[in-house]
This record gives sequence, C-alpha cells and structure tokens, in this order.
Amino acid sequence: MHKRQNSSHLIPFILGGVVLYFLSGMVDELRVYQGATIAVYVVAISSIILLTGYSGQVSLGNGALMAVGAYAAAVAHSSWKLPILVCFVIAVIAAALGGALLGAAAGRLSGPYLAGTTLALAIGLPSLANQFSILGGEQGLIFDVGFPPLSLGEDFTQYKWFFWIAALATLIMMWLLQNILRSRYGRNWRAGRGNEVAAQLAGINTARSKVLAFTISAGLAGLAGALLAMTIGTVSPSAFPLALSFSLLTGAVLSGVTTLSGVMIGAVTLVAIPEVADVVAHKLGTSESVTTNLPGLMVSALLIVTVLFVPNGPVEQHRARTAKKLAAKTK
Amino acid sequence: MKALQRRALLSATAVLAVVGLAATAIPAQAAEVGVSSTEIKLGMTLPMTGTASLGYNKIPGAAKAYFDYLNANGGINGRKVTLVVKDDRYVPTEAVAKTNELILKDKVMALLAPLGTANNKAVASSVNPARRGVPVLFVNTGFSGFADTKKYPTTYTVLPSYIMEAKIMGEYIKENFAGKKIGLLYQDDDFGTDALAGFKTAGVNFAVKVPYASGSQGAAAAAGWITKFKAAEADVVILFGVSSATSAMLGVAAQLKYAPQWMLGSVGGDATTIKLTGVPAGVLYNAIGFSPVPATTDMKDEYVKFFSDIYAKAVPGSAFDLNVLLGMNTAFMTAQALKAAGANPTRKSLMAAIDSKGATFANSALVPAAYSATSHVGLTGYWVGKYSPTGDLAPIGGTYVTYTTDSGSGAVVKSTYKRPAMPAKGLPN
Amino acid sequence: MILQSALLIWGISMIQLINTLLIGVTAGGIYALMAIAMVLVWRSTRVINFAQAGMALLSTYFGYEAMVNFNSFWIALPVAMIGGAVFAALIELIFMRLLVKHSSSGPIASVAPIIATLGLLGVIRAVVSMVWGGQDVRITGPISNDGFSLGGETLVFSPLKLLILGSVIVLMLLLSILFQKTNIGLALRASAYAPEIARLSGVKVDLVRTMGWALAGAAGAVAGMFQTVNGNGNLSPDSIEFSLLLVSGFIAAVIGGLESLVGAVIGGLLLGILISFVLMYVSSALFFIAPFIILLIVLFIRPQGIIGAKAGRRA
Repeated sequence: MHKRQNSSHLIPFILGGVVLYFLSGMVDELRVYQGATIAVYVVAISSIILLTGYSGQVSLGNGALMAVGAYAAAVAHSSWKLPILVCFVIAVIAAALGGALLGAAAGRLSGPYLAGTTLALAIGLPSLANQFSILGGEQGLIFDVGFPPLSLGEDFTQYKWFFWIAALATLIMMWLLQNILRSRYGRNWRAGRGNEVAAQLAGINTARSKVLAFTISAGLAGLAGALLAMTIGTVSPSAFPLALSFSLLTGAVLSGVTTLSGVMIGAVTLVAIPEVADVVAHKLGTSESVTTNLPGLMVSALLIVTVLFVPNGPVEQHRARTAKKLAAKTK
Repeated sequence: MKALQRRALLSATAVLAVVGLAATAIPAQAAEVGVSSTEIKLGMTLPMTGTASLGYNKIPGAAKAYFDYLNANGGINGRKVTLVVKDDRYVPTEAVAKTNELILKDKVMALLAPLGTANNKAVASSVNPARRGVPVLFVNTGFSGFADTKKYPTTYTVLPSYIMEAKIMGEYIKENFAGKKIGLLYQDDDFGTDALAGFKTAGVNFAVKVPYASGSQGAAAAAGWITKFKAAEADVVILFGVSSATSAMLGVAAQLKYAPQWMLGSVGGDATTIKLTGVPAGVLYNAIGFSPVPATTDMKDEYVKFFSDIYAKAVPGSAFDLNVLLGMNTAFMTAQALKAAGANPTRKSLMAAIDSKGATFANSALVPAAYSATSHVGLTGYWVGKYSPTGDLAPIGGTYVTYTTDSGSGAVVKSTYKRPAMPAKGLPN
Repeated sequence: MILQSALLIWGISMIQLINTLLIGVTAGGIYALMAIAMVLVWRSTRVINFAQAGMALLSTYFGYEAMVNFNSFWIALPVAMIGGAVFAALIELIFMRLLVKHSSSGPIASVAPIIATLGLLGVIRAVVSMVWGGQDVRITGPISNDGFSLGGETLVFSPLKLLILGSVIVLMLLLSILFQKTNIGLALRASAYAPEIARLSGVKVDLVRTMGWALAGAAGAVAGMFQTVNGNGNLSPDSIEFSLLLVSGFIAAVIGGLESLVGAVIGGLLLGILISFVLMYVSSALFFIAPFIILLIVLFIRPQGIIGAKAGRRA
C-alpha cells in the first residue's frame, strides 16, 4: 500500500510536467519568464509551509537562506567552474547547513526572540556579501547557466530554458517534499506543533525534529535562491531584501500555510499582483503616487484579509467546509 | 482517493494558472519593436521614490517636456516620441525587473538614460540588452566601464566618466591645494570604486576615505562621517556621492559648524536639489563644483534659456536645475539620433546614426562628445566652478574654462572646443 | 615638540571618542522610545506589533499637518501623540480583536499576529505614500540642532538632542510609575499575564488592553517626531529615518528583553552606542550589518534579553 501511494503521487506530477511542456511552447517570452519566477516562489513558499505550517516555527529569515543558496551556487560556478547541476546541489547543501545552524540556535529562542533574530538575519546576511570580495561585493556575482543546448532548436529562447530548468527542479522537489511530509518525519512535526509535551511523552525527540525542519526548509529555500539567481542572471545583496521574506510569508498564508496543495495559489498571486495593480491603476487613471503604491497596498491588504478571514488558506477552508457538509449528510 | 483528488487539484491549479496568464499574453508586432507609423516608444528606469531619488525624479518630467515640444512641432518624421518610465528605487534587481517589463511587455524601441551604475551593470548582465539588440542610449551614470564596446555593444554613455571627473579634480587639487590633506566621501559600490580608480590614476593621496553603504545616507550617518573627517584634519573634502548623501553631509556640517574646503562631484552637486533639503546657501558658498553643461542660472546661454522656457510651461512651479537641464539635453540628443536614423528607423539604424553623426549632434554641453564607429563615449570633460553666495554654481572668474581628458592615462588638457549654435527652434534638422 | 603633537593627537582622538559616544546616545534614545512602544504592546497584549513604526510614521504626518496649520512644534507634538494614541486604540479595538476571534486556534495562531501586523505595516506605508507622497514634507524642530561648543571644538550634541534624551528619560520614568505604582498599571500588568484572573477581579481587561496600545501609539509618535526633526527635517515613508526606526526599535526591544521599560531604554541606548562605535572605528559601510551582529551576540549570551525574565521567554 505504501508503494502504491508513492506511485500514485508520481503520476500527477508527471502529468503536470507534460502539460507545462506543451504550454511553454505556446506563450510569449514574458509569460515564460513569469512562469520561471512562479516556480521559484513555489519552492520558496513550500519551505515556509514546511517550517511554519507543519513544524509550527516562525522564521522571517527564509529570504536570507535563499541568499545563502544563491551565493553558494554562484561562487561554485564562477570560482570553481563546476557544472550547473552540481552548483544547484551545492546551493541546497549550503543553505541546509545554514538552516541546521539556525535550527540549533532556535532551540534557545522562541516566539518573538526567534522572530527578531530571523528578522535581523534577513536584513543583515545579504549585506554581509558586501564585505567579502569573493562574494562580489555590492555588484554581486554573475550566475549564467548558459544558453540552451542547440539540440533544442534555434528558436528555443533563454527564458524558456530557465522555465524548463526551474519547472523540472520544482516538480522533483515537490514530489520529494510531499513524500517527506507524509512520512514519519512529517507526522513528528505535526505532533510537535500541536502539543510539544505530549509529543515528547510519545517518544518524539522534538528538539531534533525542529532542527530537521529548519534544515530541510533551508535546503528548499537554497534551491529557490539558486533558481532565482538563474532567472536574474546575477546574485547581489539587493536581490534578497527584507521585502522578499515578507512576500514569502504572504504567499504562504495565501496558499494556506498548513498544506502543500494550495502553494500554486500563493506563488501565482505574488507574481500576478503587480500586473493586476498596474492594470487597475491605469484604468483608473490615478496620480503618480497612487500608481506606484497600489501593488504594495494590494499585497498587504490581501495578506490582512486572508489572515483575518481565511487564516488556514483557501484549500483548507474548502476542505473544512466539505467535511462539515459530509458530516451533516451522514447524520 | 482523497490523495489523488488533492494531487489533481494541485495539477489543475498549475494548468489553470499558466493558461490564465497565457490568455493575457500580448500579440507580437510585425515592424521594428517600439516603432509604429505614429509613435516611437522609449523606456526609462530610475529612482522615482526612495532614499536616492532626491533630484533625479525630475528627469522624466524634463525629458517629457522636451518630447512634448518636439511632438507639437511634427515629432520625428510625423511620429510622436513617447517615454515609458518605471521606478526602480535605485535597487539593481528592481531595475532588472522593470527593464524586463519595458522590453517584453511595453516593447520599447530603446532604453533611454537608465540611472545608476549598479543598476545598469545588473541590467547588462541579467537582461542582456546587447544580445537582444536593444539600444541603451545615454546611460545616466559615469561608470567608465560602459565605454567597453565589446562588453556593452549597444550602450552609449553621455556623461563624462567618473575617472575623467576624478582626474580633472586631481589636476585642480594639484594646482591649488598641493600639500593639503584631502578627504573623500564615496558610495560603497561600483560607482565609488570607479571614482577611486580615477583618483589613483590622478595620483591623489587621501588622508581619509569614508565609504557609505548605498541607502544609509541620512543625518545620523553624516554625523559619523564628519567626525571622521575632523579626526583626520582634512583641509579639502570631496563629496563623490549621490544628491541625498551630499545634502545630508552639508546639512549636518552646518549644524556642527564644520567648514572645510568642499569639492562636490557632479552626480550629487546640483545646488537647487541640495538647497531644497534645507541646507543654507552659505554652506555651499565657495565650494568647488563641476559641470559639463552651462550653469543652470546662466540665462545668457541660448540652450539654458530655451530649455527653461519650455520647462516652465510644461511643469510650472518646478525649479529648473541641473537634473532638468541634463534630462532635456539628453532628450534633445535622442531626438537628433532618431531623426538621423532615417525615414523608417530601426534599432540598428538608430545606433548607426549615433556612431556616425553623434559627435556632431547639437547639444548644450561645453565640451565635445566622442562618438564614433569605434567609440560609444559621450562627453569628455568639465568646467570648474565655485558656488556663489546664493549657493549657485558659476564658472570661476565668470568665463567657462573647460578641461577634457579620457578614462585612461591621457593628460588633462584645457579644451578649445567652441560649441556650435543651437539649431532653429531647438528642433533636430 | 613631540609632547605637543602627542597631546594634540590625543585631544583629537578624545574628541572623536566623545562624539562617537554622543552620536550613539542620541540615536539610542530614539530607538529606546520605539522600544518602549513595542514593550508596552507586548506587555499588554502579548503581541509583537511589527506595524509600530508604520503607526509612528502616520502619527508624525498628523504632527506635520498640525505644523502646517499652527506652525508650532509644541502643538504638533501633542497632536501627533494624541493622533497616534487614537489610531493605535482603533487598531486594537477593530483589527486585533477580529484577529484573535478568527485565528486563536490552529497552527496559524502564533504566526497570525506577526503576519497581520506586517500586512498592516504595508498598508499604512502605502496609504501614507498615496496621500502625502507627492509633496515635500518638512518638520522643523523647536530648538536649535546646532552643536554645542567645547573649547574650539563643536560636539555632536545640541539643545535638540538634549531635549530628546530628556524626553526619553521622563517618559520612561512616567510610564514606570504608571505601571508600578498605580491601579491602572496593576490592571495593565494583570491583564497581560493572567487575563482570566484579572477579569474575575473586576478588571475591564479589554479596555485595559486598548489602553496599552494607546500608550504605545503615543510613545511611537514621539519617536517618529524626534527622529524626523533630528534628521534634516524631511519626512517621507521611504526615508532612512523610518527604516531605522522599524528595524532598530524592534532589535532594541528584543535586546532589552521585551519585559521591562527600563530594559527597553537600556537596549536602545546600548544598541545606539554599539552601532556608533562599529561604524566609526570599523567601517561606516557596515551600516546595515551592525544591528544584526549586535542582536546575534546579545541573544547568544543572554537569549532572554538583558532584563528579560526567564518565564517571559517562553510566553
């Protein structure tokens, strides 16, 4: 039964991949580029869902962990000239190590102190790169994954190549993550989140479980960071501002922080909002100051509305409603 | 079954999302990108908001003022020139994102005067306009590296480079402040690094160098900078930062009664912008400044008069300052380039026009431009001025004495360039 | 001769040291005000209000409008404080109550206030930018910000900065007296630690919580007003002054331990002084890194903050 469950998870992912393959041939460059960005957000938001939704820990520092992964990949590529695939793996490992350290430190901190430390991490860590010339300083390092192989044809654009790499990495990661969340480790996290004392009584080493959550979450964030570096072509401190960590949190809440199913919703919304805001602002013909601030306002307002009225996310909300209906029917 | 439903939901969401976005995709254009029978579209990225935006956010209004005048007088061969402006808040990654939008979504013909050294570098490597054949005209930065036509084949500078400026400053210091202690305030990124390289070539030795993190410039930081300059007993302090850094420095210096010989770099040296932040005119008095274009208060200059008249009508109540003058000057040069690009301009013909005729484009600068088939370098020098008791920059001794040099090891020479007269009505002929 | 030069050099570095300290103390004083606001909210409702700096920003704009109409800082300051208090109270009454009602259970419970206040921060910033964005906004201070002279030297300390420090100390004393010596203060403390018991004792817990937020709003307004006039007087949602308030105020509160007002002031001053020394003697380019490093060091040595009680850390 265990095996059947695994393979039944694999099929929809493969299906999804095939659909994306066909679609990427039909849309223009901008959409493909946005598609790559959405993939980045999917992985990054998943890292938050794992850490906060499943393991119950608040961290504002996933943006900084993305930076760690991105810089690791860029340094591996520019200084050691390693092939791209290896660079991505290095990104995951480097970030995971950072996450493990953070998780160990998090054992001493909790609640606001943890939030504060991760906040400071989010602001300070990227600027640290300025001080070391191997990290390229303020201008950063170039991360060029190179042109698509000629076997794919003349018309295969750079952005399509990004999209393919990102989509493939995302699908693989999501499949792996789904399996981890369903495994014993996932159950341990949810137990620890619900009631730490009860979990410990049940024999779960909650401290180790927490560190594991941080580590895997960081690894995901690192992959997202490397993918982001690929799409922008460079890594620099300004690519990972505090606003990024906030955006990820927003995306996680919009998706429903306790479940992986809605992660696309959060990722697409984050990419779509600036465009929608632009269109709205132009239709209304508003002044300069309104137009510039509309996207920010929409994201923040959406976040508030979601937390207030749909705190567990649209998917969970829908599930709860159907469960209620089902219960009512069976009465 | 529930598991399969959930996975199906995930996949379905993915499909819907992509299809949804695809449905709003924009159809491709047949003719040259950004050029239609009625319009030529250009795009600009710069800080309109944020700590670095002080002064620079007037540039779009200035450029548009000239383009509106041009359009009212027939445009370019009957086509109107429109400018799409995007705010990048001086953050390189936002510059990349906005430039991508300009190229992919707004489909502009060329990028005009994007601002910022780090921003332009980020765009060059990420968006790679060179590989896509998108011209990057008259970049609003003095970074000397952009003159490298192999690395940036579609980029054209206009402002003299920071190395040129540092060398001219170094020459002036050698002539007037030999033996004195020199201090430098610079931005801790590519902009500052270029300046440091220039001063090295010029042989200037600093008693104290103070870097500031881009974005940190404010009164609190300035108090710290001043304490450092005081401790090093600097006689001359060069301010090679953006306008908000220069303003912060001078404002706090007034409060702390710190008054060394100031030397203002042209990037942050616009007097009007500085005074608007509350810096008393007396602080600027006798500071040394540099500019490649005539003083903004020099109403005897035909270009200054012409541009300020147009600007006063287009943006009433807004002061005519160096940012406005440079913005309109660049727009003027762009108009000539578009005209010279022929009856049916393309990106290639636009760049070819600048290569062949750019050096002769009429513009307000008092120094020559060096465009040629092998060079995308614009203006090559400055005149040296002092700020008056009312805090406005004016040439020392009343007449413009200009110096030109290069970004290499060439000497600094006094220029004999005579600026040609402005074309009739300020329109490209 | 050598002695003279040595004395001269010693004198110059002494002045540099003193000025570094003064810069740090002034900055720290303002961070302390912000930290006080955050501690007030934490102690009354167990919430970290990430929107505190945004509320301070809005209050400062209220002060600006008062300046425009009355041209007096001494009118503008109380207006900002009252405006800040009222706005904060409204947020607590409407926003936070709703939040607690909808998300006090489930995995999102601990995260919800953080996310909600972050969203609130974004909304406030955007709205402020929309309403006042196009204008040049300036607030001039009530007294001179020109440095005092000591011998031939000018210190980085002025009547205005003296006023700021004085206000911080006065505010801290007043609030401490309120908390420790009055019935209202007792009610505030009880409502935070043991709301059910407090309710049983007849304390109007909800009203008291709103009061805590109102006090914080007023403190934040003072921080915002002083930070603006201590800068060059220009006010904007993007200005470095408010980014500093946001980050440093929060870090100062955490360093101080979140539990006591005295801790908040100590945290603020310590942070200000340490940052000033790092920027002066290491490099002024470390502007954004220094607070982060200091926070890490403090939390590593003392995870509960300087004056934090052990029990408080877990709450």
